[in-house]
This record gives sequence, structure tokens and C-alpha cells, in this order.
Amino acid sequence: MFKKRINYKVPRNLLVLFELLALFLIFAHDKDNFNRNTLILGMALISIIYISSFILLRISTGDNYIFLIVTMLISIGIIMIYRIDPELGMKQIIWTGIGILLFFISYFIIKSIKGWKNWTLLYGGASIALFLITFIFGSRIKGSLNWIIIGKFSFQPTEIIKILLIFLLASYYANYEKYKKVKYGSYCLIGTLYLFIAFLFVQKDLGTVILFYFVFSAIQFIYEENRRLILYNTLFFLISGLIGYFMFSHVRVRFETWLNPWIYIDNKGYQITQSLFAIAAGGFFGTGIGLGYPDFIPEVHTDFIFSAICEEMGIFTGIGLIMLFLILVYRGFKIALSQDEKFFKIVALGISILFGIQSFIIFGGVLKMIPLTGITIPFVSYGGSSMLASFIALGILQVASEDLNLEEIEHE
Amino acid sequence: MYNIVSLIFKYVFIVIIYLFILSIIRLIYLDIRGIDTTALDNTTYLKLINRKDSLPFKVEEYYALKDVIRLGRANNNEIIIRDPYVSKNHLKLVKDEGDYYLEDLNSANGTYVNGNRIMDVVRLKNGDRIRVGQVEFLYVNRE
Repeated sequence: MFKKRINYKVPRNLLVLFELLALFLIFAHDKDNFNRNTLILGMALISIIYISSFILLRISTGDNYIFLIVTMLISIGIIMIYRIDPELGMKQIIWTGIGILLFFISYFIIKSIKGWKNWTLLYGGASIALFLITFIFGSRIKGSLNWIIIGKFSFQPTEIIKILLIFLLASYYANYEKYKKVKYGSYCLIGTLYLFIAFLFVQKDLGTVILFYFVFSAIQFIYEENRRLILYNTLFFLISGLIGYFMFSHVRVRFETWLNPWIYIDNKGYQITQSLFAIAAGGFFGTGIGLGYPDFIPEVHTDFIFSAICEEMGIFTGIGLIMLFLILVYRGFKIALSQDEKFFKIVALGISILFGIQSFIIFGGVLKMIPLTGITIPFVSYGGSSMLASFIALGILQVASEDLNLEEIEHE
Repeated sequence: MYNIVSLIFKYVFIVIIYLFILSIIRLIYLDIRGIDTTALDNTTYLKLINRKDSLPFKVEEYYALKDVIRLGRANNNEIIIRDPYVSKNHLKLVKDEGDYYLEDLNSANGTYVNGNRIMDVVRLKNGDRIRVGQVEFLYVNRE
């Protein structure tokens, strides 16, 4: 037991060391006109992360690794965002602080309220309401109609709908015995999902379409007893994908730039080719932070941050990033396996699939392995709503990692 | 000056990131190994025979035995099984001179060892099957 305690400190201290060195690097860079706010915010973030992981070890009986892994991802992300644009980096630090707060809040709310599995209709209704709100009040930023702007703040409702979708699926399959008796119960679920996908498609948010589809298919594949539905689902997706390819130009562009971006290098293939150049320029160990040219890639701080990391910190860091996601998803599956309550089992599964697929889509897209669709890397890319939603999901995963069954019986 | 620092730091960063990943993986490895070895030590334990996921309540795969172990549905037992067929205080396992003795505490549905309902105290042998409610355990003595 004592030995174990000491061991927990090792990754935590490595993380602090990593962050302190990064802060020192910034100091070395701006030694003439050093911004005091950077130092204060940086130190604040380091202490928040350290204290949070310390508190978490005390209050939660569940998993201790997911929070550590995530804070490492965030540290790499913030260093890179700060290097690209110090102002965005500062904002990202503030978002991380709010995110960690939300992590604890969602942890306590999810844990203290019982009966999450009974509100299937609420989750569906809330998602549709959010979609409609986006259509009415939404504004188009960079081609996608998925932003709501209130005063100075703007956020993406789809980030919240992701979590609602997982809750919807989990509550449906947790009460599967009940819904199975309803005529066409599973068809209703598929219908709802395709309604979501249609909404997203009209918003031109293709990355999220794929994300929703994969999360749904994976959970359906595991829990649906009517196996024929899985076949229908796959066929329907293939056919609608083909129709989408021929009918909508923005789908076709993604495919053309994936197959051969080099002939479109001056316009629509510019982004992906610059990303490939950047990764190639970095080599194994990178050019060193601040010594590369990641600014050549458009959208480098959100979707293409992986290329910037590969250029300046090396492909080894890129592989490290993928490995961090690998162990995060592995932990998620482990949590799902050991959770006894079916609702939280499915939620844990859904969230780990969400993290896994989301990072896979963008890593693959940036490396030109699959057609590129704009989506954020959870915890790494710049983006307030993405960061907050990911932290809420992580808080739910933390609840799912605990032994919920035992406590419920004690109330009897 | 900055260029040199940055060039050194890129190696340092990679080393730290990989050390971090390694230490996490090592911790996870210890975690997984910890689950398996608790049962395989040279001790005496009860092993669950039922498939764990077939039971609607929480049961561990292994229960290590100490000097006195009580089993039942109530919270004051060492082994708590929330099976409705298990009494509040169902049975007691007592160690005496290296052997374990099983004593039924007047449970409603009884305790069965190798299919026979036990009336008073029984000495357990390695490989005995103990059935309590819907749950069946294998008694393993490795001393």
C-alpha cells in the first residue's frame, strides 16, 4: 500500500516538471519583455492541476489514471497553442481552469442524482431542442452553421449534444427490456439518430456526423439484440454516404483533397499539403519549440494542432500523443468492463469510444490517412466548448469508474 | 541563446513524455497484476464458481480467508452477499490449527457442502463446494 502511494507521485511529478520546463522556455524566449500575467497564469494552472489530481485521489474511489493522462494532453496542447498565439494560449489556460471546475461539478452532480437512466425522452428532446436553437440563433463560422454567439462568448451546441447522445443511447439500452416491447422501439432510436445526423449534415459539420454515427453503431453493435438492424444501419449509411458524395460539393471536396491534394495545392488542398510539409519538416525530434513554421497551416491552433506538435516537438511526441489517447481509451474500456450498473457501463463505453473516434478522425485526417473532416482533438486543440464538454465527459467517466452498486444498496 | 535552449528542451520534453507514459503503464500493470495475485498467494480462499455476470448482485471472484470470517446479507459481515436467499448472518468460517470449520448460523435456507445440507460444524477439505443461496464457492486451501 505504501509503495503504491509513492508510485502515484511519479507521473504527477513528471507532469509538474514538464510544465515548469515549458514555463522556463517561455521565460527564456521573452526574457527582455516578460509578461507577468503569463507567469501568474502558468503557475496557477500548474498548481490547479497538481492540487486537483491530489484531491481526486482522496475523494474518488475510482480510477486515478484518466485525469493524469488528460492533464498531460492538456499540457502539450497549451504549450503548442501558446507558441502559436500567446493570447489564445492564455485563453486556453482559463478554459482549462473552468474545465477542471466543471469536471468536479459534473462529478458531484452525476454522482448525487439517482435515476439518470430513466430520462430517455428528456435526452432526446433536449438534443432536438438544442439543434433547433442552433438553426434559429446560430451563426455560420468557417462554413459550419454550428455556433451560437451570446455577447462575447460563442459555443457549439453539438459538443453538449454529444454527451446527451451517449446518455440517450445508454438509457435506451439500460431499459432495453422495457423498450423492446414497444413496437418498433429500436427503429425509433435509429430514426432519432438519423434525424440528428440530418441536422448535422445541413450544418455542414461532417466530422461530427461521422463521430455520432460511429458512437451509435458501436453501442448498437454491442447491445442490440435484433442483429438485422445493424445491417440496415450499415447499408443505410453507405447509401446515404454515396448520395451525399454525389449531391453535395462539400463532401466531394474532402474526398478529392484526400485522394490527391497535390494538384489542388494552390486552393483547396493547401491546408492538408501544408500539414504534410510541416510533419515532414519536423522529423523524429522536431525543430524545437519556436523554431518551426507552423503558422503556414490555416487553422493550426484547432484542427491542425497535431501537425504543429509534430513539426516542433517531433514525430516522437506525436506518437506519444497517440499513445496517451490509447491508454485513455483503454482505461475507459476497463472502467466499462468493471462497472456493474448497466447505464454507467454503456456511458463509460460511449465516452471512451467518443474520445477514441474523435482523436482517430482528426489524427487520420491530418496525416492524410482518411478524408479530412474538421474536428477538435479532445483536450489538446484550442476551443472552449470542446474543452468544457470533454471535461464534463471525463467527470462522468470518473463517476462510472466507481463502485456505484454498493452505495445504492446501503440506502435500503 | 534561445535556439540552443529550445534544441535541448525538445529532447527533454520527449524523454519526459515517454517517462510519463511508461510510469502510467507501469501503474496500470501493477493494478492488473494486483488483482490476479491476491488469490494465487499461498493462502486459503473461497473462489466463486458461478459466472460473476450471471448473478444480479455484487460478488467478488475471490475471498481470502482470515481467522474468523462471517458471511451474510447484513453489513456487519466480512463477506457481504446481497442475495435474497442468504440470511442476514448466514455462516461463519473459523480457523483452528490450520483447518477451517464451517458453522451455519441457523440460516433460513441452509448451507450446503458438496450437496449435503450441514447441521452443525463441518471441517472443510481442499476442493469442497459450498453453496449459499444462489452462490457457489470452491474452498481452496494451499497451506
